[in-house]
Order: sequence, then structure tokens, then C-alpha cells
Amino acid sequence: MSKPSDLIQGTLDLLILKTIALEPMHGWAIAKRIQQVSKDVLQVTQGALYPALHRLEQQGWVRGAWRESESGREAKFYSLTKAGRVQLEKELEQWQRLSGAVVLVINAPQEA
Amino acid sequence: MPPERWWNIVRMRFRSLLKRRRVESELDREMRYHLERQTEENLAAGMNDREAREAASRMFGGVSQVREECRDMRRTQYAENFLQDLHYAGRKLGKSPAFTVVIVLTLALSIGANSAIFSVIDGVLLKPLPYPHAERIARVFYRSLEYPKFPLNPWDFLDFRARNRSFESFAVYSRADLQLSGAGGDPLRLSAFRISSGYFRVLGVHPATGREFDFSEERPGSGNEVILSDRVWRNQFGATPDILGRKVLLDSQPFTVIGVMPAGADHPGNSYNSVAYGDTVDAWTPFTFAGNSNNRGSHYVEGIGRLKPGVTAEQAAADFNGIMTELASQHEGDKGWTIYMVPLFQEIIGPIHKMLLVLLGAVGLVLLIACVNAANLLLARAAARQKEIAVRTALGAGRWRLVRQMLAESLLISLVGGALGALLAIVGVRILISFLPPDFPRSGAIHVNGLVFAFTAMVAVVTGLFFGLAPALQASRTDPQQALHEGGRSSSGNARQTRLRAVLVVGEVGLACVLLVGAGVMLRSFVNLLKLDPGFRSQHVLTAEIALPSANYKTTDNIARFYQRLLSNLNTLPGLRAVGAGTDLPWTGYDENIGGFTIEGKTPPPHEEFHARYHTASPDYFRAVGIPLLRGRFFNEQDVKDAPRVVLINDVMARNYWPGEDALGKRITFDDKPKDSDWLRVVGVVGDVKDAPGSKGAEPAFWWPVLQQPFSFTSMTIVLRAHSDAMLLTDAVRTKVRELDPSLAVAHVRLLDGIAQEQFSTPRFALFLVGLFAALALVLASIGIYGVISYSVSQRMHEFGMRVALGASSWNLISMVMKQGVLLTLIGVALGFACALAFGDVLDSLLYGVSARDPLTLVGVGAMAIVTATLASFPSACRATGADPMTSLRAE
Repeated sequence: MSKPSDLIQGTLDLLILKTIALEPMHGWAIAKRIQQVSKDVLQVTQGALYPALHRLEQQGWVRGAWRESESGREAKFYSLTKAGRVQLEKELEQWQRLSGAVVLVINAPQEA
Repeated sequence: MPPERWWNIVRMRFRSLLKRRRVESELDREMRYHLERQTEENLAAGMNDREAREAASRMFGGVSQVREECRDMRRTQYAENFLQDLHYAGRKLGKSPAFTVVIVLTLALSIGANSAIFSVIDGVLLKPLPYPHAERIARVFYRSLEYPKFPLNPWDFLDFRARNRSFESFAVYSRADLQLSGAGGDPLRLSAFRISSGYFRVLGVHPATGREFDFSEERPGSGNEVILSDRVWRNQFGATPDILGRKVLLDSQPFTVIGVMPAGADHPGNSYNSVAYGDTVDAWTPFTFAGNSNNRGSHYVEGIGRLKPGVTAEQAAADFNGIMTELASQHEGDKGWTIYMVPLFQEIIGPIHKMLLVLLGAVGLVLLIACVNAANLLLARAAARQKEIAVRTALGAGRWRLVRQMLAESLLISLVGGALGALLAIVGVRILISFLPPDFPRSGAIHVNGLVFAFTAMVAVVTGLFFGLAPALQASRTDPQQALHEGGRSSSGNARQTRLRAVLVVGEVGLACVLLVGAGVMLRSFVNLLKLDPGFRSQHVLTAEIALPSANYKTTDNIARFYQRLLSNLNTLPGLRAVGAGTDLPWTGYDENIGGFTIEGKTPPPHEEFHARYHTASPDYFRAVGIPLLRGRFFNEQDVKDAPRVVLINDVMARNYWPGEDALGKRITFDDKPKDSDWLRVVGVVGDVKDAPGSKGAEPAFWWPVLQQPFSFTSMTIVLRAHSDAMLLTDAVRTKVRELDPSLAVAHVRLLDGIAQEQFSTPRFALFLVGLFAALALVLASIGIYGVISYSVSQRMHEFGMRVALGASSWNLISMVMKQGVLLTLIGVALGFACALAFGDVLDSLLYGVSARDPLTLVGVGAMAIVTATLASFPSACRATGADPMTSLRAE
């Protein structure tokens, strides 16, 4: 499936950008990291990951480079570009506003 | 979005598009790595080899799907699809070379013709004149009821210059050719102007070396100074750097060179004794204001000014008219004039503006016809490809996708056509320039440049979309079920298509008719011009100009004697029929005398004055030019200085000023209080010659005998009529002139035939092009008719077979098919005629002696269209007779 149903659309971009903001990573590592950090709640299917990376690269937010990986084989490592950092800030802010708003709605007292 | 991000994105898109294979293989490597890591993880979790691999692939999902989706993310699928479409279109077109060649060639021809005409328009109409802020330069003329454009009086000019508030600088100029001698080589006639001090400031061009004239040089007797052209400086003075301050002999008098203009300092053109616009002037001398400043009656300087920023020509004209009114209250000679002000660009381009637009319109029509033709051919192909399209639709091709595919095909055709057209334009413009009339302004500015190529590209793309869209939409509407089911035989879709094609052919024929009518009336107009009696006989006549420097020929006697001797020397040449000298040469401009003479016993009508072109001529001048004597006699050897004074007039003058009387023996005078000897007796009436072949009528004119000229006519034209090739006399003329006075230049040696031909060059040029375009249109239309009829016949073969079976003769079939072609044509002709009649006014001002709605032309064009339609349908009609009744019967 192209879009992970358990991820709000557009969130995958944010997750990827955030994940590689620390250090350049290849696709496999990105998926693993998201899974680990979210304590296995968020499972990024590979079918969604690579198109997303592709799109981010086309947008000029991430840049890919081939390097030797920890396993000793060549892998494509993605890193944030300058524009990518700006985009990450934007998306974070948006996400916080959105999730805050969702929380507000959920916690609103029920009227009898 | 910051630019670097744009750049990144553009770079990525190009990478995706151009290095597709590399991008894809990278993706594969990436995914393989992912799978391997997953497999390793699975192994580590205790699965065996096969299980681990299978589980990893399962988790990953479809590899090809991911690949496809990544491709989508790259957003290049449109471009990729388009390239694919182009590739496919190329293959398709390659399979039907005849179709492709016809359609590409017709488009190339019409796009090329459009680009060629556009480059002329670009160079002549779109490019600004080569003066800084040329839009602020305006020409200034006088205007009266009788004279729409008249030169200024020099004293008036001084008043205008002092009082006007509209011009930054205002100047006058007047033709005054000079003879350069003593610079090494033969004496040379320079085309030269006397200019007031602000002249070059008006144009915004300044001497490359030296300076321009200032006010002090306008004073009479302030010394002779000259500014030379770059050409004269190079050719006559070897580009010597110490030219400034050097004395040169002009008209046998020493002039000091004070400046040299840069190359390409274009002359802005002038109206009287005109020198064409362009790099055509060789020397400039100061205009000096001498004599009686109250003499406001003579007009011979042309005004030109640079408007102050923000001032329009109309405002300036109002300003000048105010001053004119003041002047008229002070000077009798300034009454009756108003100011006519016209932007310089308009003054230069005006005469050909209309013609260029007509040419652009004509060539645009050709392109439109070519488009319709291409659409028509494409439709025919689409019909033949119905099955293919149906299959593709059945296999899931969307309608838009099909349209895009078809458009790619038409774009490919038009782009190839455009590329060929651009090549044609490069060649065509060269040819076009060589065909341009000699007086065509700004021909030097015509080049095939980037703008022309951009125009060509744009036309090609628009053309491709235009002629491709209808067939594409039409084809995409194909109902696959029906098309596949019927196996390509006629269907309702086909009927619709046939109708559309018929409409296109009707349109094509109509447009072609418009062009044919245009070309037809232009042809008739041209024939009318040629058939006109010019009033003179131009065959075997050589003309040459001689100007006598007033320094050496101070009196009218000197001048008269020189010409007398020269003519008698020339008369000894063999092979001559007549030789004469005169100041007027047909169709080369004129001088006018208004109110300068009195006719015995007559008063001019109120608010009018007697006026006439004035000239002087030797006895044999009229025989040499071939102007006939109507009554009385030519001048003869007895018309010498002290003999009774005589004058020759033309027929118009005789009829205008002595209506119903015999003008012979009547008298005119140029003196206010004439003694008896001041009267000039009319001794002969000669035939009329108009100012130009297309002029409405001739103007009144008279001639003084050379030996009785009242003031110095220093410049005259020698005219020699030979028995055969007059050009052979050139050297002899030069020798005879040199024998008499070696300091004289023999200038403008031309055949009278050449002068006459030049007058027809503009209409000939327009006729040639419009005729060419009309012929092209006719060919295109006949291709269209042929295509439609041929297709219709192929669809109806079955029906024809049945008819034969039922007893129809070959002749029946032929006439049936032909009728169809002729019917379509007739509708087209009717439409075309309606357009031609509606838009006839556009052409009227370009025509002579024929209306743009000329019935004879319409009949001719109609007949031509029907003949063409008959010829174009004939091959298909013949094919129809080959219908086999047995085949048809068996199929039933």
C-alpha cells in the first residue's frame, strides 16, 4: 500500500525529516529508527518509505549520497539540506498546532 | 522559495529525466540493500535461508510497484510520456512517408514564408530607428488646402526656433549636392544637405571626429565649412587622421572640414529632391540665412525636431500653429498655412506600412490554409487508424492520453515543418531583400535574428496544436466497440468525420479564394499601371546629371553657353536620334511655382493662385525624352537670349488656364509690372507627364528655353535618345563633358527605362509575393479537395459497385464524384467571395484603376477554383469507375 493507513497523511515526511536531522541515514536505518523510537507503534512500510524519500529528494529537502554502511556494503545515505531544515521547522510547528488542536477537541467536556 | 532550492529542484528533474536509467538502477540498489538487511534480520531471528528471504520480500511489498510509485514522485512522467509519444509519433509518421512529406513540406513552406515576412516586419516596423529616443523626433511641414505637405520658409524657421516651447532642438535641412574635385580621381558628385545648426542634435548623432555647426555658421559669408560622411572620408581621403581643418574643393570652392560623421549615421529621409532614408548622404554644409528676412513666400527647407520629453507631436503642432497665426498677421506670405507634424518613424514607414500589413495578412492566410490542410490530412489518417485507436481504447488508454498521443504527432510534424521553415526563411529573406524596391526604407535592418526564430518556433507550436486538436479530439471519440465490430467500415463516427473534413475543405477553398481575389486585383492594378501611357518613351534613352559650380558659372549666360556647346558636341556622336538637356526628368520629383506668374487677361479663382511645375529645356529635350508636341512648336535655335521670350506649356496647363481657348500665342509673365518684353508667349503645347505613374493626373507645367532661363539652373539632366543600346553612350558622354570642363562630375548615369521600372517596383514586389502566396494557397486547397474526394470514393466503392450492377455507366460515376468536389468548392468560393467583398477596403488604397471588388477578377477566380476542383477530383472519379459490381454483390 502506498500510504500507511495508521499514519496521518503527510506525517511520514515529518518523521523522515526529523529522523535524519540528527545524522545522515540510509532507508533501512530510517525505517528501523522510526520503529524503535516509537516503541514499535509506527511501522513504516518500505513501499511507502522509498517513494517518500524520492519525493523529498525531488523537492530539494534531502540529499542522497552513496557511502559504505555499518554492514560494510554501499548504501544511499540521506541528509537534510538547508531547505530541508527550514521545511522540518515548518512541519514541526504545523504538527504541534494540529495535534494540540486534536487534543483540545478530544478532551472537551461532554455535554449532557 | 529561495532560488537555490529552485535550482536544486530543476537539477533533480533534469537528472530524473535525462539519467533515468541511472536513477532507476540506484533505486534498485537501494531496495536490494533494504531487502538484504531485512533478510539478515530474519536470519538472526532464527529463520532459515529461504524463509528469511521470502518474509523480507513479503514485508517489502511489490518491488515494481514501489518502482512505479517512485517514478510518479519524480513527477517526470508527463515529460517521459511526451518523449514516448514523440518517439511513437515519429515511428508512425515514418511508416507513411508520402503523407508525412506532403504535410511537412506544406507547413515548412507556409511557416517559412511567415517567418520571412515577419523578419521584414521586424526589421522595418518593429525595430526602432537608429537614433536615440527616435520616438521623439518629428518632421514638420506646412499644409494648405491645396498642398498637404509643403516645405518651410527659412525665415519662418528662425521664428519657430526662437518661439516654440515644444522642441528640445529644431532644425531645417535642404538638399544641395556638391561636386568634390581635387581629392584624387575623377570629380565626384556628393549627395549633400545644407543644415541648420541644431540638425545633428535633433537626430542625436554626432560627428565621430570634429564638431557640428553652431549658430555662427548660419550667418551669411561665415566661411565654407563641411562635415563629411565616414564613406567619403575613407574612400576619397584614405581615412586620413588629419582630415580636420583640411581644405577640400567642393563646387570649385575651398571648404574646411570640421567633422566626420560615424559610419551608419542614417539620413532621416526627405521629401523634396529626396534622398532615400539610410546611409545615403555624403556631406553636410551649414545653411546660411541671407537676404531679405521679410521674404516669406519661398519654401524650400524641411523641418525636423526633437520633442521635449512628454510632449506629443499634436501638442507641438498646436504650439507651432499658434506661432504660425502670429506670423501670418505680420507677413502676407505666411497666410493660409497650417502646420502638419508627423513622427519621423511614420514619415519613413508610412508609404509601405499598409503594404507590409497586407503581405503579413496574406502570408497569415496561407498559414491558416496550411493548418486546415494539415488538419484535413490528419483526419483522413485518423480514419484509417480507427482500429488502432479502438484497440488502444479497449486496452484502457484514457481519452486524454489518446489526445496527447495524437497531439504529439501533430507537434512533431509542425516542429519539423518549423525547423525546415526557419531554413527556408533564411534563404527566403535573402531572396526577398534582393526583390525589394530600391526605395524601400530600412531594408538594411532586415535580418533573420533571434526574434524571428522565436516567432518561428511559436508559430510552429501554435500551428501544431491548432491543426492537431480537432483531429485528436475527433479520433479520441472513437467508440471501440463499434469500430472493432464494424471492422473499419463506415459508421456514424465516420459520417461525423466526413462532415468535419468537408467543412475544412470548404474553409480552405474559401481562404484560398480570398487570396486569389487579392492577387487577381493586384495583377489587374499592375497591368493597368503598365498599360498607362507614361507620356514619354523610355526605350534606348540615357540620362546623366551635371551640376555646374556657381563659382565657375556665375551668370545664366555662362550656364546657357555651356549646355549649348555640350549639346552640340554630343550631337556629333553616332547612333543618336536626339539629345537634349532639361531640369525635369519624368517621375523623379519636381519643383513648383505658386502664384509666381500672371496670365494675361486672367485672374485666378478666389483663394487660389496660378501654379505650375517649372522647368527649363533645350530645343531637342522633348524629342529626346519622347514627350510629344500637341500644338505649336518646340523651342528652336532662334529662342536665344535677346529674341522674343517664349514658353512651352503642357496640355493640363493649357486646359486649366485657357479652357475652351487655344493657349498658343497667349502670354504669361513673372514680373509684377511687366514691360512688353517681360511677357512670355506660349509657342507650343506638349503632352502631359504625371509626377508618378500612379498619380491621379498631371499637374500644370511650363518650360523656359535654356537660353532664356530667368535665373540659374545650375543642375541639369542630359538626355540622349539612341537607336539601340543607349548604355553604350556612357563613356562618350563622360569624355565630351571632360573635354569641355574636366572639373565636372557626370552623376546618376541611368537609363530612362530603369527610372520608369523603379516606379513599378513596389507594386511589382507586392504582386509577386501575394501572387506566390495565392498560388501556394491554391495548391493547398487542391490537395485538400483531392484528399476529401479520394477518401470519400474509397468509402463508397461498395456503393459504386452496386450502382454499376444496377446499370450506372462510368460517366454516371465520374460525374457523381466530380459533382461532390465541385459542390464543396462552390460553397468555399461563395464564402471566400463574401470575405473578399467584406474586406475589400483593405486593398483599395494599394490599387490603381481597379476596385478590390472587381467583378471580372471574381469571375476569373471562381472559374479557376472550379477548374482546380475538377482536376483535383478527377483521379478519384476515375478510380470510382473501377468499382467491381461482383465484389459489391458478394459482400451483400
